[in-house]
Amino acid sequence: MVKRGKLEIIKDILKIIQENRNSIKPTPLLRKSKLSSLRFKEYYIELADKNLIKEITGKEREKFIILTEKGFKFLEKYKTIVNFIDEFEL
Amino acid sequence: MRPPLEFLMPPQIGAELIYSFVIIVCSLMVYYGTKELYELSSYKGIKYFRLAFLFFAVAYFFRYSIRFILSFFNIGTIHEFLPMSLGPMGPLTLFLFMYFSSMAVFYLLYSVMWKRWNGNSKMIYIFHAIAIIISVVSIISRRSDVLLGINILFLILISFVYYIAHKDSKTKKKGHNLYAVYMLLFVFWILNIIDILIPSFLQQFQLLIYLTSSGIFLTILYKVLKKVGN
Repeated sequence: MVKRGKLEIIKDILKIIQENRNSIKPTPLLRKSKLSSLRFKEYYIELADKNLIKEITGKEREKFIILTEKGFKFLEKYKTIVNFIDEFEL
Repeated sequence: MRPPLEFLMPPQIGAELIYSFVIIVCSLMVYYGTKELYELSSYKGIKYFRLAFLFFAVAYFFRYSIRFILSFFNIGTIHEFLPMSLGPMGPLTLFLFMYFSSMAVFYLLYSVMWKRWNGNSKMIYIFHAIAIIISVVSIISRRSDVLLGINILFLILISFVYYIAHKDSKTKKKGHNLYAVYMLLFVFWILNIIDILIPSFLQQFQLLIYLTSSGIFLTILYKVLKKVGN
């Protein structure tokens, strides 16, 4: 199996949230992301710090993760970012 | 007596102004055109690529300032602009030009090398130190052969590192001619520096250097805008 790059992992996590009608609990997100819990936690913190995702609390006080506007923008521009990096060998 | 406009802006300075303007605008358009991609991805390679073009823009501003000083005070080389006689303006401008020039080239090199160097940020400090040394030597040394030697050595070193990187590149494929563009950028950048430090050395080829340098920056800008989609 080919090792995923950091940007690809970020895209995959955001895509999972988006495909889940932009609302998912942390545990299914961890499972679907196919990362170890330690790595998932690192990415989770990073994505929240970069304001790509945010946590909201439901009616029954359960946690949900949703995409921010920036998160949607990242998914929209992901191909452009990857093509740019490839073109300029960055 | 010279007409007032010619006194303020002799013809060669006018041409220099247009040349500098083209390069500065191209560099700033690359910098601002990639802002969104960097803000979304926080990708290191994009960060250093953008910084390289920001530094090119600043370096060209100081390059134009040097040309203006030389023309305005009617002096042959920037080294005649001694601190004791005319204030620190000349050496300071030369220092800033050399520092920003060297760092622009280093940032561009680091943007393609950072993965191979495992993102080692210590390299950036080393580059700053080398850029400061080059800048100080350029001010102190007045010997053309020393200045020429330093810049040729600088070019050989950068070209060698970039050549090795390109040779091992996994992304190397047909139609990827960026290697040639980067190499030309390095070569013509050094020629621009030599043109400032030793004006008489490349006087006959000045127009060719200006046109080719503008062409390289316009090519990079075109590639950036095409990829960014603006």
